[in-house]
Amino acid sequence: MADKQLDATRAASAFQKQWFADLRRRVFDERQPYALLQADVPFELFDLMGVAAVSNQWWASIVAAKRQAPRFLDAMDADGLHGDLCRYCSLGYASTRYRGAGDPPWGGLPTPRLLCARLTCDCIHRVFQLWADTFGAELFEIDHPGAGDLPPRWWELGRYRWRELVEPHRLAFVVSTLENLVERLEAISGRRLDRDALRARLELVNRQEEVFDAARRLIATAPECPVRMTEQITNVMATQWVRGSEWALAHARAFHDEVAERVHRGIAACPGERARLMWIGAGLWHDTGFYTEFETSHRAVFVWSMYLAFGPDGYIRYGLDDPMAALASRTASFNEYLHNPPWAADWIVHQAREHRINGALVLRPRSMKPAGTGRFFIERALEDAGIPVLPIDADVVDARGWDAHGARAGVRSFLETRVLQ
Amino acid sequence: MQELCIVASWPAVPVEIVRAAGFRAVMARGASGPTPAADAHLEPGIFPSRLRHLVEDVLAGRLSDAALIVIPRTSDADYKCFLYLREFVRKGLATAPIVLFDLLQSRGAEVRNHDVARTRALLDTLASRSGRMPSADDIRREITRANAARAAARRLVALRRIVPRVTGSAAFRLLAAFWEMEPDRYVEMANEAANRIAAGPPLAGPRVLLTGAPVDGQALHEAIESHGAIVVAEVGPWGSSAAGDDVPLDDDPVAALSDKYRTDSIGARTPVDSLRGWTARMLEDVDAVVVSLPPDDAVFGWDYPALRDVLKARRIPHVCLRGDQHLAPTPAEHVQLGAMVSAASQLQETRRG
Repeated sequence: MADKQLDATRAASAFQKQWFADLRRRVFDERQPYALLQADVPFELFDLMGVAAVSNQWWASIVAAKRQAPRFLDAMDADGLHGDLCRYCSLGYASTRYRGAGDPPWGGLPTPRLLCARLTCDCIHRVFQLWADTFGAELFEIDHPGAGDLPPRWWELGRYRWRELVEPHRLAFVVSTLENLVERLEAISGRRLDRDALRARLELVNRQEEVFDAARRLIATAPECPVRMTEQITNVMATQWVRGSEWALAHARAFHDEVAERVHRGIAACPGERARLMWIGAGLWHDTGFYTEFETSHRAVFVWSMYLAFGPDGYIRYGLDDPMAALASRTASFNEYLHNPPWAADWIVHQAREHRINGALVLRPRSMKPAGTGRFFIERALEDAGIPVLPIDADVVDARGWDAHGARAGVRSFLETRVLQ
Repeated sequence: MQELCIVASWPAVPVEIVRAAGFRAVMARGASGPTPAADAHLEPGIFPSRLRHLVEDVLAGRLSDAALIVIPRTSDADYKCFLYLREFVRKGLATAPIVLFDLLQSRGAEVRNHDVARTRALLDTLASRSGRMPSADDIRREITRANAARAAARRLVALRRIVPRVTGSAAFRLLAAFWEMEPDRYVEMANEAANRIAAGPPLAGPRVLLTGAPVDGQALHEAIESHGAIVVAEVGPWGSSAAGDDVPLDDDPVAALSDKYRTDSIGARTPVDSLRGWTARMLEDVDAVVVSLPPDDAVFGWDYPALRDVLKARRIPHVCLRGDQHLAPTPAEHVQLGAMVSAASQLQETRRG
């Protein structure tokens, strides 16, 4: 993996490791409750109620990055769980259920008081129920009503006209579910949710995402990309799991300022940049070196992933008179924004144009079935917009079937025949 | 395709409401044929055969006479199919009218009210298409007719269990017809069949439960029964559970239907404990189990280790099949099926002394 170019990236990595150590200490020594959450659950509610929250996807990415995933996934296979079942959302479960098979990072997950998941993909109910049963913990589910009306340019509607973005019955359903979640959190923590504090937290989330929006503009408009995609992800995701906190806002500003300074001084992630690439899909956590592989050989740099771009477009909600409704409007349609027609393809093409993208690599996830939908629409829309597309067959946490050399050779060929002509 | 029909992607759409609004219900089913037009848009390994064929039919214009295509939110693949179809219409690739029936099945306190409201919305949509808003009495009448059909279907189900008198392949066809046949005709047909079957001799051979991902055709039944076993039950809305319990004739018939379909519809989003309970009851009277986990399965495979452990503890032989349910099993799978049936036969003999 390439060296980190930004001080902010080193600070973000250190923060996450320390944060997890603190979590373990609080859970083991101080008997404080914590929760395991799917990434699209509103973390703000947990933090406000004093229940620390760990993201399933973050944990999976750490397990994969520490090269522990194959052992746990082998144990899943040996237990009869077939290879077409989602590995990304279940790697955390595997690291608990088959704990002896590998060495979970940083001492492993302690037993949570609660697990909480949105039922987007069909498998989530199964995976989280199995995980909750393994821990002997409670599971709270947030169901996912389908969208029947998907107005165009969601990323513009979402900021000020978010009530128009989600059909009233869907919004009411998610609000009602979140209120029930709050009841459970109040029972667990013994605290009452302060609605003014929720509003204040969402305002801070807005501030944080505005900072990332400014950083995104710098990256999109600078003559050469000032920060690698992998470092964008580290900085953004470290703050997203504690979004709206003082540290998150301060770190977002530090990241932005360092990017701005690099732009001001003409420092590029890949000096002499010849090709700007975008990555569509979840990160390739077991081989993040893939993303910097083509800088030296082809002066090709990954400029864009959903992780930075989705924060400003997916999270900012202005008009917080009813903060729970605003939170629900963000929560209701994550999956549709990122994966499904017409929203995902329209947004990604828009982002590609904003970022002057020359080529797109689209993940074809091996086992994540719902995340694998909508790909053909996205690939076609990009090609129609004049942006060459290279599909990449991979599992984001399972390195066992990953042909690292073959994939790199494919990208080199793609760059030479379709991007750098 | 005749006029005045509603095409549903899965039998989780209340047929009573469809009929009360003046339509005939047609359910999408899988098949073994190619789907080239759909394959250009539907990613491999995600969408089951029935959805591929539904999209193929829409893109080929074969459903242009359907009054409405209703996609229930009872699996993620169905929901994505709805979004795709909606996009085809937006882009002028298809003209079929499509609606999402947003039936949720989780256990949250707010789910019931949501589902009742969505069922009313479906009724309104259907009524606007037909120009005929059924009264509560119209809906109760359809519930009564469907309940009569359910009673007839339950007679057939009873003739499969414990001492089977009908093959699973034959029973599956009879039970699956519940969804599409006019209830009065279904009652007549099913009762005639039940009388004929009841008069026949019991069938020999190990009794097999077909579980895993629900099947919507009888190809697997035929493969299993070619080895001398009898499929006595299968998971899913097409066979053993097609009828289920009656719908109560409440003051609010729409709410009663919503409750019935929320709790009884079997699919990828049915809560796991519901299916576990059903499977446990079925295991009381079977000699072997076939678990079908096709390549598009994202859900039922999670249940397999626990089921395997139960079967092992109870010494019930089983086979796990990973192929497409609409294609013939491979020779290797037939060998496995043969071995399973042989083991089950020996256990059956031992039990009988």
